Amino acid sequence: MSRFGTNGGFAGGGHLGDVLSALLDGELPAPQAEGARAHLAACPDCTQELAAVSQARSWVRALPLVDPPFGFYERMLLDHQPALRSATGDRATLRRRAGLAALGAAAAAVTVLGVGSPSPRPVSPSMPRLVEAHATSASVGADLLSKLAPVGVPVSFGR
Amino acid sequence: MSGSGIPTWEEVARDHGRFLYTVAYRLTGNSNDAQDLVQEVLLKVRRGLETYRPGSLEGWLSRITTNTFLDETRRQRRRPVDLLPEDPDRVVPPSPGADVALAAEALPDHVQEALRALPEEYRAAVVMCDVVGLSYQEISDSLDVPVGTVRSRIHRGRALLRKTLA
Repeated sequence: MSRFGTNGGFAGGGHLGDVLSALLDGELPAPQAEGARAHLAACPDCTQELAAVSQARSWVRALPLVDPPFGFYERMLLDHQPALRSATGDRATLRRRAGLAALGAAAAAVTVLGVGSPSPRPVSPSMPRLVEAHATSASVGADLLSKLAPVGVPVSFGR
Repeated sequence: MSGSGIPTWEEVARDHGRFLYTVAYRLTGNSNDAQDLVQEVLLKVRRGLETYRPGSLEGWLSRITTNTFLDETRRQRRRPVDLLPEDPDRVVPPSPGADVALAAEALPDHVQEALRALPEEYRAAVVMCDVVGLSYQEISDSLDVPVGTVRSRIHRGRALLRKTLA
């Protein structure tokens, strides 16, 4: 159903139509592309249509990648195995499950971070050693009060 | 990759999650439907219902995504209330007037809306060509239609997009 003659020339007698998109996309063999260009040189209608579809093509190609909602794949991962086992095929159910799974994960995180750690964790450096080092350093100076003054609470006596 | 050659769910999500969601979003036109579509695709991948062909993983994913989308569209089309008009021109919303000429920052939204207004077969062909970057032959193989049909759908889709956004 080619609209080109054996020599690659346009043989349809009308306009190029979808050949224009094929030309834009590099989908025409060289002889047919040459035939299409020759037709375009003499056909304002096809030239105008080429510009129009070329514009639309550029717009779609310029569309950016789209980020999925935050945590979308993570929620699916949590929900994946139960969904496979039941294989209900109910997509709305899948989405609800994903939301519940996210809530469960959030609750688990709160438990681990808050309630789940009743005893204080050791800190580094050790606080007793830090206090001891500070005391040693402070005692080297002649005037302990003047060393403490910049960080102490201003006080006055007899007023 | 798993032993069967089919990528694992985690690999697809980690390495191609953004791409997959983008294709789904461009096909469906909204976030909820895109999420549903991605879930369907990943379940198919996980179940091994589709045979992975060594080559472009993203081409393979886009084929599954597009066919899943079109299957769902056809299923809905069989419902009387969801019948689509036969004439593609009838589904194209009115063109914006000159006073609402496309602002550069709003262009992607306008293009997405115009894309969404296309008949699904045109939209699928345009997305596979201009978003995914597949050749006409690859699209033909994916959709199981002749190359000439692919060419026609792409061209008509673009022409309708341009008409909508003129």
